[in-house]
Amino acid sequence: MSFPTAPEADIALLLEGTFPYVSGGVSSWVNQIVRAYPEYSFALIFLGSRREDYKDFKYELPANVVHFEEHFLYDDLASNEKPPPRTGNREAFAAAAKLHEKFLPGTPQGDAMQAFKEVAHAMMPGGKLTLDDFLHSERAWEIVCERYRKYCTDPSFVDFFWTVRIMHTPLWKLAGVAHRLPKVKVLHSISTGYAGFLGALIQQTRGTPLILSEHGIYTKERKIDLFKSEWIRDNRNVFQRDPSELSYFRQMWIHFFEWLGRFCYDAADPIIALYEQNRLRQVADGALSERTFNIPNGINLQRFAPLRALRPAAVPPVLCLIGRVVPIKDIKTFIRAMRRVVNHLPEAEGWIAGPEDEDPSYAQDCRNLVHSLGLQDHVKFLGFQKIENLMPKIGLTILSSISEALPLVILEGYAAGVPTISTDVGSCRQLIEGLESEDRALGVSGAVVNIADPQALADAAIALLRDEARWHAASQAGIARVERYYTDVLMFGLYRDVYEKALARSAQGS
Amino acid sequence: MLLPSKFGLYALTLELSAWSAGALLDSQSDSTLLWYLVLHGAASLLLASAAILLLPPAFARPRRPVLLLMAGCSFAVPIFGFVGVLAGIVILRTYRYREKIAPFESTQLPEFDPHQHTTGGFRQSGLRSFLGNTKAPMASRLGALVALQYVSGRVSSPLLRDVLTDPSEDIRLLAYGMLDNQEKRINQAIDEELRSLAEGVKLEGEAQPGPQTLAAVRRLSDLYWELIYQEMVQGDLRTHAVAESSRYCDIVLRHAPDDAAINLRQGRLLHALNQLEKAEAAYFRALGLGLPSTRVLPYLAELRFDQGDFVGARYLMSELSQWSSLPRLRPVIEYWKAQ
Repeated sequence: MSFPTAPEADIALLLEGTFPYVSGGVSSWVNQIVRAYPEYSFALIFLGSRREDYKDFKYELPANVVHFEEHFLYDDLASNEKPPPRTGNREAFAAAAKLHEKFLPGTPQGDAMQAFKEVAHAMMPGGKLTLDDFLHSERAWEIVCERYRKYCTDPSFVDFFWTVRIMHTPLWKLAGVAHRLPKVKVLHSISTGYAGFLGALIQQTRGTPLILSEHGIYTKERKIDLFKSEWIRDNRNVFQRDPSELSYFRQMWIHFFEWLGRFCYDAADPIIALYEQNRLRQVADGALSERTFNIPNGINLQRFAPLRALRPAAVPPVLCLIGRVVPIKDIKTFIRAMRRVVNHLPEAEGWIAGPEDEDPSYAQDCRNLVHSLGLQDHVKFLGFQKIENLMPKIGLTILSSISEALPLVILEGYAAGVPTISTDVGSCRQLIEGLESEDRALGVSGAVVNIADPQALADAAIALLRDEARWHAASQAGIARVERYYTDVLMFGLYRDVYEKALARSAQGS
Repeated sequence: MLLPSKFGLYALTLELSAWSAGALLDSQSDSTLLWYLVLHGAASLLLASAAILLLPPAFARPRRPVLLLMAGCSFAVPIFGFVGVLAGIVILRTYRYREKIAPFESTQLPEFDPHQHTTGGFRQSGLRSFLGNTKAPMASRLGALVALQYVSGRVSSPLLRDVLTDPSEDIRLLAYGMLDNQEKRINQAIDEELRSLAEGVKLEGEAQPGPQTLAAVRRLSDLYWELIYQEMVQGDLRTHAVAESSRYCDIVLRHAPDDAAINLRQGRLLHALNQLEKAEAAYFRALGLGLPSTRVLPYLAELRFDQGDFVGARYLMSELSQWSSLPRLRPVIEYWKAQ
C-alpha cells in the first residue's frame, strides 16, 4: 500500500493502536476531528505492536491527510547477525543507571524527570546511548546484572534480562521516528504511552507545541491488561514470595508505563480530558492542574436524528452491545445477563455488533460461553455493522465495559432515540443521570449498574423493556441530553480554539 | 506441701554427704571427685524437683527445661546456686501475690470502628472488613487484594466480588482481573471437556457411551460443580450451572449407580434445585453406599429444615453431636441441642 507523504504539515496526529487500522470510539473521534478542519493539513503517525496485528484500513484517509507513516514497535526484535563486541559509552550508561536510581520510590519526581529528559535525548540518533550498545555492550550487561542482584525479587535472571530488553527497545525506535518526522507546526497525541513519549520527545527536541487529548487513561488501561495478563511470569516459590506483592515483572511494566505517562504530561500543554473524573486522574498521575481542562465528545445529530422516524411503534426486545469484542468491554457479562433476560423475556435477543478480529481468542471464549449457557438462539454475533442500520431495530444499547471514557455509542443511541443500560464506568453515570442540576432535570435516560454484575444488568434491562412508558421517557431524556450537551458543533468549536492557540504559539516559537 | 519438703530434705542430705565425702575419704583422689559430682548432681536434681513444685504454675512451664535450668544452676555453682534457686522461688512467689492485689485501672472505651468488628470465627472475615474499609491506605488494600490470589476460590471470590463496587478504580479493576482469571480457567476447562465429549460421542456412539464419553461427562459435572462451589456464579447462572452439573451427574449415575460421592453431589444439586424428595433419596443412597454419616447428615438435616420438619432436623443434629470431627459445625449443633 502506498501512503501519502509530504515534507510538512500543520498538525501531526500521534496515534497508538487506533485510527485508521482499528475501528472503535477513539478512531471515529479521530476521523471526525480530521474531517472537521479541512483548512488544516494533517500528518498521521500510526504506532502499532506488530505488522501482523493490523490488516487493512478500517477508515478511508480524509483528503486533508497529506502525510501518513506507520511504525511497528515490536517487529524486528530478533536479529540473526552476530554483534561485534563493544564496551558501550561509560558516561551514557552511568547516566542511565543514575536515572533508574531516581525512579525508585521516595526520590523527588522533578529530579527524575530532568534525568529522564537527558537520557531520552541521548537516545536520539547521533546520541551517546545507542540501541546497539543497549543490546550488546558490556556496560549494558553490567547494569542489567547489577540491578537484577540489587532489586529483582524474581529469581529468574533470564526473564528479567528479556523483560528489560523488550521493554526498552521500542524507545529507540521512537527516537528514530522523532528524528525523521516531517516538519509540523503542532503535535497532537491521542494518548500517553508510546505515542505520548514520541510527542514529548519531539516537543523537547524541536520545541513544537504538544496537545494531549486523552480518551481513556492510557496508564490505567495498561494496568488492566497487566493485572489480567498471564504471560508475565512469577517464578518466586513459596518461600521467596511476599503474598501481598505483585510479581516483579508486572510491577516493572506498570512503573514503565507510569513514567512514560509522566514524561508526556510534563511536555504537553494543554492536556485535555473528556470529563472531570479523568481530568482529576491526570492530575493525580502527574499532569499540572493549570494545563488541564475538559472537552466532552460530541456527535453529528443530523446523521442520527432521522433514524427515530424509522423505529417501529412497539419497542423491539433487542439488547444491543455495540463495540469491539475485547476483554475491556466485558462482553461475557452481557452474555451472562442475557441468560436471565431470556429466562424472563423469552422473545428477547442480544446482539453483539462489533469486529472480532482484535482478540480472536476472547471472541472464541464469548462464543463458547453462549454455547455453554444454551443461548445459541438468543445471542447473535453480527460483526461490524453500520450503526444507522442497527439503531431502528434495537430496544436498548448495552455497555458492559469495565472501563470507558465518554462512549460515543451511548450518544449515538440517544440521538436515534434509544436509551441505554451501562456499567458505572467513566462518564456513563453523567451521560445517563445528568451532571449538574439542569442536566439532571432532563430525566434519566436508561440505567447504571455495577461492573461484572450480570444479574443487575439483566434486571435493569427487563424493567425498562417491560415498561413502555418508562422506556419512552428515557428515550426522550436521551434525545434532550444529547442535543443540549453533546453535539459535534460544540466540540469542534472548542478544538478549533485549541488548535488556533497552539498554531499561534508555534508561529511565535519559530 | 509434703512432697516438696521431702524432696528438699533428700536434696540437703545428699548435698551434705557430697561435701562430707571429700572430708572423709582421701581428698586428693579422682574417685572422691567423681563421688562428689554424682552426689552433688543428684542433690541438684532433687532440689530442682522440690523447687518446681513450689513455683507458681505459670512459671513452671515448660516443665523439663525449667527443671533442667534450676538443676543446672545448683550443679554448676555449688552452694550459691543452691541458695540462688531457693531465693528465686521465694521472690517469684511473693511477686505473684503482689500482682494479684494490684488495683483495677479504668481505661477509656475505644471508639467503635465497624471495620475492626469481626463478624464470626472465620479467618476471611478480617480480610473482608479490611478490604471493605475505604479509609485504609491504598497500598495496603492493594496488597491485601493481591494476597487473595493465593487463597482458594471459594474464599476469595465473594471477597473479590464485594470490592467490585469499590470507589477506587484500581481496586475495582484488579479485583475484576483476578475474578475473571479464576472464572476463565474453569470455563476453558469446560470448553475443552465439551469438545472431548463431542469427540467421544462421535467415536463411541450415544446409546452406549464408552470410557471417553463417561470420563468427559464426569469431569463436566465436576467443573460445573466447581463453578457453584467457588461461588463464581450467582442467580440465574447458578441455577443454570446446578442444572448442568445435575444433568451430567445423572448420566454418570446411570452407568455407575454405586458411586457414593456422586450420589451425595446429586443430592446436593437436587437440593439446590428444590427437588427435595429426590434429594432426600440421593442422600439416603449415599449413606447406604457407605459414605460416613458426618458427610451426609448435615445436608440431610438442612433438607429436613427446608421441608419444615424441625423435629427431624433436631434429631439429626443430636445424632451429629456424637461426632467430634465437625469443628465448624459445632456452634450449629450446640444451637439445635440447646432448643
